[in-house]
Amino acid sequence: MKSTISFDGKSLRGEPGAPGRRFRADPRCFAGEPVLDAWAHVCALDDADAALPFDQPEVQQVRRDALAWWIPLLGDTLVCLTSLALDPVNYGGAITVTTDPGSFRLDPFARIFPGAVVRTSLFSQVPPPAGPVVERYAGVAWPGGSF
Amino acid sequence: MTEILTTVPDLALPDHTGRQRTLAELAGGDPLALFFSRGWWCPKEQRYLRGLAELQDEFEIAYSRLVVVSVDPPEVQSAFRAGLGARFTFLSDEMRCYLDELGLRETTDTVHHPYRPAAFMLYPDLNVYAAYNGYWYWGRPTHEEIRQDLRAITREIRSDWELA
Repeated sequence: MKSTISFDGKSLRGEPGAPGRRFRADPRCFAGEPVLDAWAHVCALDDADAALPFDQPEVQQVRRDALAWWIPLLGDTLVCLTSLALDPVNYGGAITVTTDPGSFRLDPFARIFPGAVVRTSLFSQVPPPAGPVVERYAGVAWPGGSF
Repeated sequence: MTEILTTVPDLALPDHTGRQRTLAELAGGDPLALFFSRGWWCPKEQRYLRGLAELQDEFEIAYSRLVVVSVDPPEVQSAFRAGLGARFTFLSDEMRCYLDELGLRETTDTVHHPYRPAAFMLYPDLNVYAAYNGYWYWGRPTHEEIRQDLRAITREIRSDWELA
């Protein structure tokens, strides 16, 4: 199942070999019918040094914030949300996809890496995580995966 | 403990944001602690759910799920959830769809027609490992009982439990 995506600082691309930094996302984000002309808040950098272990307290806390208030705040506008994995250990950022960019300035993931607003038709609707689990499943980008 | 159910049906209800959810979807292949609650107005529920909000710090790293069902509307649940600092899902049975099917109608409250408080510790397939009747506050599972139940379920379902 497709799970990788490239970001060059301005645009998101899904095809293999696309320019920019390559990330692994929750594969469910690409499994359904794409939502056309959605808005993505990409809190990631096209910079190989921009990485933190998923287990760092600040990366854990931002996932808690997503469950506590970010997802409820977005309401019906939310299309999907995924963290971005660089490898089995490191966090490279997160993407929140919505049909309305009005709340992006509040995105808690922007505390880790700053956000860029990108128009995209790559992502499909995924039910938001139920919580309270913030751990990842077998290295899959949170909130995807299961045992 | 109460023996009223051996398997909890796959409830289909809106969550605290109004999205339609099913219990199996929320379990997501993990053990699930399911709580039926009267509603935000009950001081016993407020106290008990504050406790669950403390326990969620263990659920979040233990690959286990926690869901609360009440008759509050989604917008009320959302406000209550925020007040508790909860990060787990509330399901709204505002229409009282499952009260009688589950045998959990609290007949002594003729004003709100809420759920009788109950707790179920479930396998991922929604089979019941343990059930608790919480009509009286002391009938509800303590944090330690929840931990013990989830330990037993996890030991059964995780094939790598014995790995060191």
